[in-house]
This record gives sequence, C-alpha cells and structure tokens, in this order.
Amino acid sequence: MTASLRRASPRVPPDSPAALHAPLFQDLVAGLDATRRHVILDLGAASTAMLALLGRSRCRVEIADLAHFGGIDHLNRAEPGLAITEAAESVLPNRLTDDTIDLVLCWDLPNYLTLDAVSGLMGAIGRRARPGALAHALIFYADRDMKEHPGRFVPTADGELIDRSPPGAAIAAPRYSPEDMGKSMGGFMIDRARLLSNGMQEFLFRLGS
Amino acid sequence: MFERSKKDDDSIESQDANRTASDTAFGSLRSKVAGRGGDAAVIGRSIQINGDLRGGEDLRIEGDVSGTVELKNSALTIGKEGRVKADVYARSIAVDGETKGDLYAAERISVHVNARVQGNIIAPKVSIEEGAHFKGSIEMDPAAVEKALGKTVVENKSGSAADAKAAPKKPAKDARTNLNPPVGTA
Repeated sequence: MTASLRRASPRVPPDSPAALHAPLFQDLVAGLDATRRHVILDLGAASTAMLALLGRSRCRVEIADLAHFGGIDHLNRAEPGLAITEAAESVLPNRLTDDTIDLVLCWDLPNYLTLDAVSGLMGAIGRRARPGALAHALIFYADRDMKEHPGRFVPTADGELIDRSPPGAAIAAPRYSPEDMGKSMGGFMIDRARLLSNGMQEFLFRLGS
Repeated sequence: MFERSKKDDDSIESQDANRTASDTAFGSLRSKVAGRGGDAAVIGRSIQINGDLRGGEDLRIEGDVSGTVELKNSALTIGKEGRVKADVYARSIAVDGETKGDLYAAERISVHVNARVQGNIIAPKVSIEEGAHFKGSIEMDPAAVEKALGKTVVENKSGSAADAKAAPKKPAKDARTNLNPPVGTA
C-alpha cells in the first residue's frame, strides 16, 4: 500500500499563476451557510484570503500547516500502525473544544505523503469529524511531475484558486489513482471527482457513518 | 530586568511617582529594573521569565517568557526576538516573534509576516499576514468568541448581541460551542 515518493529531478514544472477553476471547491464555498456554524480543518498554510472567504460564515478554522511545521516528514517517516496514528495526532492542531469537523481542506498535500501516511492522517481526522463530513483534495494525475514542495493555494473572491508557492525544483508525482485514494482516506469515501484543466484530479470525499 | 529606551528615561521618574501600588503587578519592580520603550514597557532580549506575568500597562516582549501572561486591559506586542510559551490574555495582541500557547484578546490579534504561532486564537478581530506561520485554530464565530472570552452578552430587543466591553477571562476547560448542521455542497 505504501508508495515511495520519488526523488527530485532537475526539471522545473511550468508555473501556473493563472487562477485554477476548481468546481468542487467552489461548490463547497458556495455551500457554506452563513447562518450555521462550521468547523473547518485546513491542512495547508494560513492565508488572509482563505480566512476572508471562510469568514463569510460562522466558523472555526483549524490550521495544521503540515508543510511548514514538519508534518509531512513526520508522517512519512512513521512506521505503519500505531506510530502513524500517533504521528497523525501530533501533526494536527491541539483543540480548545471537541467540536466535530465538518470540512477538511487537503489541497495537494496527499501527493507528498505515502498512502500509509494519508490513511493514518485521514483516520485521525475522521475521529475528530462528524459522520458525513467532507474532505477536498487535489491530486496530480495527468502530469508526471509536481513541485518539490506543496502548493500554497489562495482562493480568489469567487472561489477560484491561485498557487502562490515559489517556483522550485520538480519531483515525480505519485499520481495516485482514484482507486488508491478511495482506499487510503481513512473512513472518507469518494463522493465526487473532476479532472481539472491543469491535469489535477479534484476529489470530494465524504466520511461514512 | 526590562530595557529602558533613552528617549523615555527622563519621563519615567515623574510617571512612576504618580503610580499607585496597585497600578500594576510589577510596577514597583519596574521602578528598579524596568523601563519603557515607546508607550510600552519592554522585556528585553536577554531576559527570561518563568511563571505568571501580570500587568496593567502595555508591554513589548523581546525575551523569553513561559508560564501565563495576563495584561487584560492592555496591549501586548511579541517582538521579532520574542519567544512566548504561555497562554496569553490581553486587550490586543500583536505577534512578530514566536508563541506557543493559546492567545485571547478582547479586541484584536494580529500575526505578522515571519511570526510563528502555535496555539488557538480567540478574538473578535484576527489578521494573519501572508508569510506568517500558524498552527492552531481561529474562532470566527462571534457567539463562540464571546463565550470563550467570557464576556457578558446582552441580548437587545432584536436579538442581536452587544458586548459589555469586559476583559477576556480564562475560559472553562470544558467550555463547548454548539455544533450545527453539516456543511452542504451546492
């Protein structure tokens, strides 16, 4: 089940500063009901634009910033089983309350994790989430390469996404298949999927009861 | 113990002469070891404090502080060199350095570029600049913020909440907010 991440190659993928139309993400944002409280877990970095977008609704945003706080390496180094479970708990934010999570924003981070790490992480998140909670992810599918480090996706006012991460070296993308993802998201099952114009597969997962 | 800005040295004595004993928990200490930087007292880069830090005036931290920081009616700035490992309660909090612990502010919390914050943020207004590093939660539900800050909420006739301008209080550890129905998809 574990897929080893292939090492860096010198080729630099073309930058794509243009806004990415991600319809499932836009649906999620449009579906945030301003009259209801939501708990949202963002595995990426904090961004002013994202907070402004989510701030339209009553919500608590939990931010893990796996890339900056060492979560990716910690998860990938952990042995399958209890060690990954413990690693997953440690990379998630400490919680002030135990409100259950309604929505998880994974961005492109699963591409930088082994499938065992993805499974352990989403299992830990699933234990903090309510049945029916949603998870959104962007998986490199058509392109063979991806940036060496995860993207820093910033939403525009209308819900399109711009990757603000700096250009850098490229590594081979694991190109996880829908089948891989379907088996590796803890209790989250594929709800919808779309192939995007940049070759990424956009997934929406739903946590089973 | 605290750095003194030369600019303000001349005014320290007269200001301290008018200060009552209860003005600040470390006011008397400051007359010996503290100084003022701009309008705020300053804990300098070489200072390490372990324990509870309380006060009634604005403070800038450039040193290391661990324990609890309570400046409930004052502004706290954690400077670029500042490292705070504590739960912090203040009127407003600005972070340029590093913090590990929960931050509570009655008015605003600002996390500036290159700051590194691990903990939960509870304030009516929160800003996080691009380039800041943050791991934790941000409460953006006004009702939950009010509850977490322990403010008195007065319901007006139309049902909207008006806060009573109270200072943030330590929340009960088992405080919970209501969970609402699921996020929907369009």
